[in-house]
Amino acid sequence: MSANAQPVTPVTLDTKAPPALLRADGVSIQFGGLKALTDFHLSIQQGDLLGLIGPNGAGKSTAFNVLTGVYQPSQGQVLVRDTKVNGRKPHQINLLGVARTFQNIRLFRALTALDNVKVACRAQTALHQSRLGLGAKLVNAGHNYADWWKALLLTPSFQREERRLTAQAEHLLEVMGLSHRRDEEARNLPYGEQRRLEIARALGSQPRVLLLDEPAAGMNTREKADLMVLIRKLRDDFKLGVLVIEHDMKLVMGICEQITVLDHGETIARGAPAEVRSDRKVIEAYLGDSYLESHGGAA
Amino acid sequence: MQSPALPVPEAPSLVPPALRGILPLLIAIPTLALFHWSLTGSDFATYLLSVVGVNIILAVSLNIVNGMTGQFSIGHAGFMAVGAYIAGYTSLQLKEVALSFLPVSASDQVLFMLALLVGGVAAALCGFLVGLPSLRLRGDYLAIVTLGFGEIIRVFVQNTDAFGRALGLSGIPQYSSPGMVFFWVFLVVLAARRLAGSSHGRSLWAIREDEVAAEAMGVDTTGYKVRAFVFSSFFAGIAGGLFAHFVPIINPGSFTFVRSMEIVVMVVLGGLGSTTGAVVAAIFLTLLPEGMRSLFGALGTEGSLAQRVDQIRMPIYGLLLVVLMLSRPQGLFGTKELWDVLPRWLPRKRRGLA
Repeated sequence: MSANAQPVTPVTLDTKAPPALLRADGVSIQFGGLKALTDFHLSIQQGDLLGLIGPNGAGKSTAFNVLTGVYQPSQGQVLVRDTKVNGRKPHQINLLGVARTFQNIRLFRALTALDNVKVACRAQTALHQSRLGLGAKLVNAGHNYADWWKALLLTPSFQREERRLTAQAEHLLEVMGLSHRRDEEARNLPYGEQRRLEIARALGSQPRVLLLDEPAAGMNTREKADLMVLIRKLRDDFKLGVLVIEHDMKLVMGICEQITVLDHGETIARGAPAEVRSDRKVIEAYLGDSYLESHGGAA
Repeated sequence: MQSPALPVPEAPSLVPPALRGILPLLIAIPTLALFHWSLTGSDFATYLLSVVGVNIILAVSLNIVNGMTGQFSIGHAGFMAVGAYIAGYTSLQLKEVALSFLPVSASDQVLFMLALLVGGVAAALCGFLVGLPSLRLRGDYLAIVTLGFGEIIRVFVQNTDAFGRALGLSGIPQYSSPGMVFFWVFLVVLAARRLAGSSHGRSLWAIREDEVAAEAMGVDTTGYKVRAFVFSSFFAGIAGGLFAHFVPIINPGSFTFVRSMEIVVMVVLGGLGSTTGAVVAAIFLTLLPEGMRSLFGALGTEGSLAQRVDQIRMPIYGLLLVVLMLSRPQGLFGTKELWDVLPRWLPRKRRGLA
């Protein structure tokens, strides 16, 4: 396989296409001397189903954290629909339409399934808080305090809003097949359902891009198969762009249209599943060069 | 948005939505008025009742920060002090003022309410100023900052002539009555319950459960924490204002770190996150020393133990906390409310969940 001599081409920017829902442009991040991510490019359009893979410690979760604002990129920029979001807080990025799930499930354990989703639904109705002037900040703060007063006085508009949130959250639970768990505390749900609830919660914030961090971890074969169908369905029904981090190759190869492979923070390959699977660098990263030597370099 | 606009269901209630907001007030005010007029107890009973009420307000308001939001504030007495001194000072300044269009007692009550609100708002402002920088911190740091704030207020008051230095403020008109105190108790409990049941309350719970996830789901965690803190400080200020209007004198000694810890113990005992738990614990812990006093008095240890109840109170609190942490770390009620816990003993409607 000699096709890998040329470097990985970065995402080409087509000026005629609508702006990417989420784009990373040459993002690098360093923790002290450790380069966790180097010159990372990614572009997600509506309807995309992208995969992000790599061995342990390759920087996949770091990439997620940069995209969602948990970490600040040391270099490069992250754009949501052509708005630069470097330096914004995670909740502000979420309000722009980027929602995620977590590798180790992070539900609000003591809240019911319904309330978990409602928290995310509610946030989306909050005012957009970008970095504006002091005046706008004061206005925002005023609105926020007024909102509390509405809750304390149980104004009719507040009651209507609460009912709307409940209806929306119930709808999402139904979509994810969790209606029967509506009033159960999240911590009492079985593992697979907790994973699904996390996706329902992410959908509650009405995202346009959904980032799934190892959604199939700990699932059995059948659940994984169901999940593959579900992810595709969600992408179509909710008109999302989806990015999946996954260890399970069968799942990634099965559903993703384009896969980016990271190793030691560097993008070593990008392309359709079949290309990536036969890529020498990818095999090397996963199985070591000794494997390649003993198998004559072919996969 | 992507999902089809869902129909908003109608409210399943007999009460028209416009009325639901004030219905509890319409019921409570006449009840409290009755309670007020029928109260013929001794001065001591009146005083004790007021102290119980003030402690309930303090515990319930602290529970919003420590319980619902999961932040650990241990400077609540500081905000109470701000409210007490500002409200007391306002009342002293307005002592000679009377609203001519009202009878004297009504005018006094209006001025009292005004002083309370001034005290509450001042405390809320302090809460905002303390909260804004420190609520970006997590865990122990907030505790340290609030502890420092409480002490700063105490030392500041101790060295300010306008507030009477270590002697304190005296001669504040005694406007307060159990009726007024319990009106505010009612307000704080209602506000805390409504907050807990609203989308804002859910966001606070979410912060308590997992701050990272809450932030990722679009909850402005710092903003919410500051708002909860301001809210809680406001009521602490009100409690302080009420306190200033029924004790003969307020001095810095009433607002020490020990006072803050008493309130924290009430919240922990009641169960972090349980409003009714805070109420029950506040009543219990306020009456406990009185109970001990009468018990020791009845045992004939007059003059020794009975007079030292105030000194042995804290070790008993400590012991209580140790026992509680060992046997029931989530507090009496956990995050549940009285009406969730009661059905275990009372035959009430069954909760039908497998």
